[in-house]
Amino acid sequence: MTTSPPVLSFEGVTKVFHQGDVEVRALRGLDLVVHPGELTAIVGPSGSGKSTALHLAGALDVPTTGTVRVDGVDLATLTARERAALRRDRIGFVFQSYNLVPVMSAHENAASVLALQGVPEAEQRTRVASLLEELGIGDLADRRPDQLSGGQQQRVAIARAVAARPAVVLGDEPTANVDSATAERLLDLIRSLNERHGTTFLLSTHDERVMKRVRRVVTLVDGKVASDETVGG
Amino acid sequence: MTLLRIAWRNVWRNSRRSLVTIAAMAFALWTTILYSGLVQGYLDSMEGDVLDLEVGDLQIHPEAWDDEPGLSTVIEDPAALVAALEEAGLTATVRLLSGGLAASDEASAGVVLRGLDPVADARALKLPERLGEGRWLAADAPKGVVIGRRLARALGVGLGDELVVLSQAADGSVANDLFAVRGILGPVSEGTDRAAIFLLDTTFRELFVLPRGAHEIIVRRPADLPLDEAAARARTAAGPAVVQTWRELLPTIATMLDSSRSVMVFVFLIIYLAIGILVLNAVLMAVFERVRELGVMKALGMGPWAVLALIVTETAIQTVLAIAVGTLLAAPFAWYLTVHGINVGALGGTAVMGLAMAEVWTGSYDLQNLTTAVVLLLVIVAFATLIPAIRAARLRPIDAMRYQ
Repeated sequence: MTTSPPVLSFEGVTKVFHQGDVEVRALRGLDLVVHPGELTAIVGPSGSGKSTALHLAGALDVPTTGTVRVDGVDLATLTARERAALRRDRIGFVFQSYNLVPVMSAHENAASVLALQGVPEAEQRTRVASLLEELGIGDLADRRPDQLSGGQQQRVAIARAVAARPAVVLGDEPTANVDSATAERLLDLIRSLNERHGTTFLLSTHDERVMKRVRRVVTLVDGKVASDETVGG
Repeated sequence: MTLLRIAWRNVWRNSRRSLVTIAAMAFALWTTILYSGLVQGYLDSMEGDVLDLEVGDLQIHPEAWDDEPGLSTVIEDPAALVAALEEAGLTATVRLLSGGLAASDEASAGVVLRGLDPVADARALKLPERLGEGRWLAADAPKGVVIGRRLARALGVGLGDELVVLSQAADGSVANDLFAVRGILGPVSEGTDRAAIFLLDTTFRELFVLPRGAHEIIVRRPADLPLDEAAARARTAAGPAVVQTWRELLPTIATMLDSSRSVMVFVFLIIYLAIGILVLNAVLMAVFERVRELGVMKALGMGPWAVLALIVTETAIQTVLAIAVGTLLAAPFAWYLTVHGINVGALGGTAVMGLAMAEVWTGSYDLQNLTTAVVLLLVIVAFATLIPAIRAARLRPIDAMRYQ
């Protein structure tokens, strides 16, 4: 176990939603710590709280009770604008349906977080070009999302997520919309980024292939950690 | 990647909708520019007719004129007053006035006789420019008169025909003489058209046995001198004589001109309100179609101000294009309306509020005309854009990303 301070921690986190008169308790005292360099999957049945946990980790929402810290920062102490800045600077996202901006090229999409950070265009070009090469889509840099396959789009999304070197990259079912071969290649890339650059990944998934390729599997049941296993990967 | 570049691409994502929005804004601008110029031209021409042909900016009458208007109620030394007015930076011309009866072989009519010095008068007014036919008064034709067009019709006289003028002179004797119609005016005003006879001041004095004095002094001011300031200067020079501005002399017409300009702005607002609703709808559609995308951008760290700026920039691009198109399309029409105008045909000469409508209705276009139309468009579009832009800026990324 590493001694580095955690990049992400949940301490007694609960999250309650109200759907009309119905109260939905998505998380019921979640405790979880993710350290730098980890490659972790959160698994569990539908309604177990995976997505809610990921949203809280991504500073997209705030807990009802308990504390969520990203890179040591308690989300409850931040305003909406500060949370936006935290997402921009410290968190990368890979979404199930890629969610690339259709009017931007692959290169521009990958560079979008750097642009939001105000990184000079020349530096953006250099960093993103090498990243796209590393992900095997260097020759597709000028293509728009609608000119790319699903797997290529997800690689662009991964490039966008890691380009700004965030503390943690959150993936919401990153292999759900691609075929098996593409999923395997994406998982290769994720592992490669994790091993070569020490990028921390927290992936929410139902996909057995993902569970086999990560090093830690956290199983949620009814909004709590049911098991937390270190696996071979 | 700059905000402007993303906004430009977003504008052309749905090119048909953007083109319709741009076309609607351009059409509204085109309409308002041309409409405002035409109305402005009409009002300017009406105001110009009032000031240049008849009333002038100011008029000075004898102190007792309101109570006892008549041949013997005069400003005693009009020449001295004119000199004082000129000294004050104003231009003035003296008028002699009297009522009477004019008769031709066929008919007779009540008339207003106006005596003037054509040289001095030409410095202040432009009545000779409104001659319909014939020639203006001249010192070498002391018995020549210029009459209103409807009076000519009523008396059945034309150029060169004779008419007899009958009235009472200042000394109580009968004033009558035979005159030749030297000129017939085009449309000026209801009163002038129906009853005016213009004659030389020297002839007037001889006819009415009025060796000195004047009934009216018409005053003009330099274009850059405000009316109130001109009136103040004239009052200083006029002593006990009464100075009135044209707005005081013709309050109904002054109010009508002012309210017509207000109505013009009101029409602008109605046109732009319709365009505002269209823009609002277009921007709302553009936002709703991209709620999920905007949510993703916010999730990636785009702040609310950046989202607001993106939506506003997209509309700004369309508005700038619409302004360019609308202005470029309006320019040749504005030129045509200014140079050639619209011939209103039979409506020409019709009296509106006592003023004769010109036969050719020309536009009046200037920078203010353009900027008013553009600024109003910008204000309406800004309001129409801010509502959806603020909604977009306030989207919670987590909600937006769930939006289907």
